[in-house]
Amino acid sequence: MAKSRIKILLWVIINFLLYLFFGKNIFFLIITGIINYFWGLLLDKKKNIFFVVFAILCNLLPLLFFKYITFIVNYNVLVPLGISYYTLSFISYLVDVYENRYPSETNFLNYCFYIFYFPSLFIGPINRYQNIKKQMENLGLKKENIFPSLFRILIGLIKKIVIANSLSVIIGNLSSDLSYQGLYVLFGALIYSVMLYCDFSGGIDLVLGVSKLFNIDLVENFDQPFLSESVKEFWRRWHISLGNWLKDYIYIPLGGNRNGKWKTKINVLITFLISGLWHGIHYILWGVINGIFVCFEWKSKNKYLNRTLTFLLISLLWIFFIYQDTLVSLEMFLSIFTKSDLSFFQNIFRLGLNIWQYLISFFLFSFILWYENKKLIINNWLAKRKVEIKLIILLIFLLIVLLFGSYGLDVNSNNFIYGGF
Amino acid sequence: MRKVVNCIIIILIFLGLLFLLGRLVSYKYIHSLKEGSFVSDYYKEENKHAVIILGDCEAYTTFSPMEMYKEYGITSYIRGNSQQLIGQSYYLLSEALHYEIPKVVILSVDAMRYNSQIKEEYNRLLLDKMRWSKEKLALINYSKMPGESLLTYLFPILRYHERITSLEADDLKYLFSDEVVSHNGFLINKEIKPVKALPTPKYLDDYTFSQDNYNYLDKIRLLCEEKGIKLILYKAPTVHPYWYKEYDKQIKDYANKYQIDYYNMLELEEIGIDMSVDTYDSGTHLNLFGARKVSHYFGKILQDKYNLSDESKNDKIRLEYEKKLMRYEGEVNEKNN
Repeated sequence: MAKSRIKILLWVIINFLLYLFFGKNIFFLIITGIINYFWGLLLDKKKNIFFVVFAILCNLLPLLFFKYITFIVNYNVLVPLGISYYTLSFISYLVDVYENRYPSETNFLNYCFYIFYFPSLFIGPINRYQNIKKQMENLGLKKENIFPSLFRILIGLIKKIVIANSLSVIIGNLSSDLSYQGLYVLFGALIYSVMLYCDFSGGIDLVLGVSKLFNIDLVENFDQPFLSESVKEFWRRWHISLGNWLKDYIYIPLGGNRNGKWKTKINVLITFLISGLWHGIHYILWGVINGIFVCFEWKSKNKYLNRTLTFLLISLLWIFFIYQDTLVSLEMFLSIFTKSDLSFFQNIFRLGLNIWQYLISFFLFSFILWYENKKLIINNWLAKRKVEIKLIILLIFLLIVLLFGSYGLDVNSNNFIYGGF
Repeated sequence: MRKVVNCIIIILIFLGLLFLLGRLVSYKYIHSLKEGSFVSDYYKEENKHAVIILGDCEAYTTFSPMEMYKEYGITSYIRGNSQQLIGQSYYLLSEALHYEIPKVVILSVDAMRYNSQIKEEYNRLLLDKMRWSKEKLALINYSKMPGESLLTYLFPILRYHERITSLEADDLKYLFSDEVVSHNGFLINKEIKPVKALPTPKYLDDYTFSQDNYNYLDKIRLLCEEKGIKLILYKAPTVHPYWYKEYDKQIKDYANKYQIDYYNMLELEEIGIDMSVDTYDSGTHLNLFGARKVSHYFGKILQDKYNLSDESKNDKIRLEYEKKLMRYEGEVNEKNN
């Protein structure tokens, strides 16, 4: 067996074991994986629209079942870990094979490499088969990847463990006590925006960093979303792999922008409705409102004003995520206009963080935004430094995580917000 | 090669920094949660002791070594801590035997009723300031609760990092130094909170002590036998939590089987414990007055029955205990005022 095949086999076994250890309901993934393998082979030979629709339904029904069963019949089931992500990956694979974008994978080991790609099963990004396939032969540790990978992993840890975990204390307090209304809700929304970004993009940094360590380049999932000047632009920069998936497999098949202005808007609304559905039952309205903002875009000439308004708007929409109940979220949103008073400013340090924790989170978040803005220049500069300098930088980052991170017995750092979708 | 050496130096400096920061953020246990300093107070002892007292909170609130010394010249040290399990007492005894071989070991049997640790904080009180040894490693393995890790004991920064934003003056003051907080492992408490009502025992499904606890009790017994130490078992005269007759029978059976002396102080009225004045928390622990009574009573037994001599005639010991007594009396009087 060729060396590269052995590496792939080892990778699949390790990923499988990791899923077995950390995941839930692995047998479901195995069964759906095997079924989709044969669906792929069939669709390659018989380009039948009914087959592909049936195959998609076979993937969607379990997803809908697991996502909505709790809501409909108040019955808790063991939701397979990563089902939201791998279902989309399976559908993209089947549709691409049907559309002749690439042939189905006949080699079962290669196919397993794709479906058991553990790093991204938790929180994405949503991988496309052709991207993984072309890289799997290069799998392996490479000296030149070590520093950039570890650097990215540590950036991810700072985002997740230092910033997101610290800020989650505030969100936990606000969401568990509904007497916090008015300015507290506005403050919570802004904090949640920062927290969700650090939690989600921090997790993606870990996934991409680990993948890079093994010489696999996954697609980027974020592109400085806080620089967006409109909601439409925000959704091009946020959760890019989901946005692209929705565009390729929902929006464009619906007709995209090819059938006039109003049909385009309807297609956008449907796409965002499906995005809301994918997130869960409580996020349908959130998806539709986002769709409306995308359809009816407004911009001023001042880019800073546009960025501020977009940030504010997107933050207010995250209220649906904070309270995870549509009616409660609407009530809380309205309280911003009816129940705001200045007592909030006296209590800002009673929400779970002291002044130092606020300052540390603010400073590090500013640093992250600056780094991401100058990423290319900084990474190029770093690449030319001596190994000792690189090591010192990594250790400083590690020290920041160890010293200022929120982790330990009372904190479950393994939980990523987007891991729950 | 030079690069490798440089990298090793950088990593060593980093580890040193981690150690330093770990010390900075670690809880100091000087002015609050003083129990955390008991274990390290022991290492500052100048002379050996005739008696080592082991157990949970019933150890460090029931006996006052200073009173036993004042009255009988008996030197003793309490290696006890909050919620100290029987297994933990075994490892503390095992560690103590590296420093000294006492004539008598007195063990509280109260912890026989507990099968495992109930709060991580109790482990911390016992282990944070303990010197590294094979006993400490074994103690960590024995004590750690789900989610606890050896790494957090090796690098305290992993446990206490969140204190970095709320450091106190003590954290700098005691960064490299330490202070004795106990009186040979005894903590003075002069508050009085009488027992309001005697507890009504609740029915338990099973009164049997765990085999694991028996195993550690056996280990303590065998260790004492091996070193020629007389082992004594006792139950403190406290009314909470309820000491069931089924518990007492098991201890009596064990003591009879191995010919060990067992003193259930709940049954020893001659000690003179009065739960309207001798407890600081309505009968769970004795206060200074209660501990004085027990120490005077038990000191006499140690002197008469176990032939422990008056060590105050030894100049070295007398000098050490003069200083200790001055501090002890000072604290007793200070608290009086």
